[in-house]
Amino acid sequence: MANVVVENLTRVFETKSRKVLALDKVSLEVRSGEVFGLLGPNGAGKTTLIRILTTLLLPTSGRALVGGYDVVKEAKKVRGIIGFSSSSERVGFDFVTARRNLWFFSQLYGLSTSIANRRIEELAALLEFQDQLDRKLYTLTTGYRQRLNIARALINDPLVVFFDEPTNGMDVFSAKKVRELFVKEAKINSRTMFLATHNMFEAEEICDRVAIIDKGRILAIDTPENLKSSLSKPVVLFETDVAGAQIDDPTQLEGVVGGTIRVDDENETAKIRVILRDEIFLEKILDILEKRRVRVYNYQILEPTLEDVFISQVGAGFAERERSVEV
Amino acid sequence: MRFSFTLWAKVVIARALIRVIAMYGDPLWILVNVGGPLLTSTALAFLYRFAGLPQFTGFAILGGGIAAYWGNVLWSMASQLSWDKRSGMLYLYITSPAPLTALLIGMSLGGILGTLPSSIAVLITGTLLFKPPFSPPTITLVLIFMLTLVALYGMGIALSSLYLFLSREAEEINEALYEPVSFLSGIYFPSIGRSSPLPIAIQAVAALIPLTIGMDSLRRTVFYAEGLSELWPNIALLAAMAVTSIYIGLKMLSYIERRGRETGDILVTLK
Repeated sequence: MANVVVENLTRVFETKSRKVLALDKVSLEVRSGEVFGLLGPNGAGKTTLIRILTTLLLPTSGRALVGGYDVVKEAKKVRGIIGFSSSSERVGFDFVTARRNLWFFSQLYGLSTSIANRRIEELAALLEFQDQLDRKLYTLTTGYRQRLNIARALINDPLVVFFDEPTNGMDVFSAKKVRELFVKEAKINSRTMFLATHNMFEAEEICDRVAIIDKGRILAIDTPENLKSSLSKPVVLFETDVAGAQIDDPTQLEGVVGGTIRVDDENETAKIRVILRDEIFLEKILDILEKRRVRVYNYQILEPTLEDVFISQVGAGFAERERSVEV
Repeated sequence: MRFSFTLWAKVVIARALIRVIAMYGDPLWILVNVGGPLLTSTALAFLYRFAGLPQFTGFAILGGGIAAYWGNVLWSMASQLSWDKRSGMLYLYITSPAPLTALLIGMSLGGILGTLPSSIAVLITGTLLFKPPFSPPTITLVLIFMLTLVALYGMGIALSSLYLFLSREAEEINEALYEPVSFLSGIYFPSIGRSSPLPIAIQAVAALIPLTIGMDSLRRTVFYAEGLSELWPNIALLAAMAVTSIYIGLKMLSYIERRGRETGDILVTLK
């Protein structure tokens, strides 16, 4: 059963001077018990889509249903069955304990205090912060605050939970705990876990399916494995001296579909990662680099990642895209 | 319908309770909200005494008791939704089934209950120090006090919606409002009526502020022993102001929520 249905959803932001197309005829479905990842660089439209699905924003056109309810016409019903968490929002009230904060949020959903208390204990146990429950919020470390934030999103036992960059800035241990919880909540409690992320590792590790989004358009939707295997082109990584940085745009190189360049100033090296139309272009690129007096220390053909899938579609990586996108 | 009312009541209670706990969980808040008005009213009471007007020391003490509420309305009520927007909490409120009206009423109730001890502390300390000539408390006094608070917090509800709509930094608006409103409403001196030193045009402007009417009524009850028969116009005006400001505030809030969903920039800070 599809808990999230999006059909031709479009959102245009209008200011006095310009119009920004944030979502362009987006369509997708997410099933019950599925961990779904919306993967794209900042400014791709992930947050806009989540804001529409959580009833905070109206679409310009198209339709979206959450748990079978229309997000425009039945917003109140949608709000009762969803949870939401973003790494950027504040968790609660600083001078109030974690337990009391969670209780407060449970009241926004009309839970009885006994059910709320039981739920608080359960979630604290799942996210391993029981010993922090009676501490005031401002005394908690960032990692515990973020775990509390995830617990808050689940306090009302929601059918669909939306997470916007859930593990952004989280310590490795907390992020691992949270990812495990996402999978558990989807598989055991049949929740739909809808994640907007630009964390490739996260998307590959826990998502059943991933939608790659750029400039408001969905470029591809499939399992991470299928998306990667659909990329039949070779991915090559060249490790060069810092002169490699002079290649501003890898697509200018013959036979390159797209790529990224990362410069390591400290070690005076550069990593040029490219997707080639065909393996025959490898020799040609080595020749070009030599002519440009770029010293190649090493090169290797790699297994594609989800970012490579993105690069193959738009020609640039997340970081390059973020620099070029106006929000 | 029944579920809606239950939810509404739960949200009011939860928000009020959290407000009180948060207020007293912050030692700095206690220091500012009890210490500040107490020091100001004590300074003014000394001034009245040394100016040879000991009968007016009571004005300063009463003003200190009410100033705590005015500060609370401005800094903890009017600014709240604007701060909630900045921190992302407003997003959480909007995407939950909790009515925003319940959150605001709960915030007001929590503010009133939370400020009560600091207001009482100022009144008791001031009375013990200066022994001003108070009339014994009457039902009229209680009624006026409660109406003043409702009108004041009603103004807070209206301001909180306005702040959100204006999208300005709440601190800036608070700074701009605090002193002028404190002055015009006559927290520490009579700003309207026969004893007011202000020109009649300014008195007319001052009378538009619920706090002015509330302070005038409280002073006349406490120090001139006036009763319901003399004060009924003030009481009627206060009640009208309370109802109007709450109505405007809640209407504005519902408009903001609708408009915010259309434009996307009122309820959340766009990244």
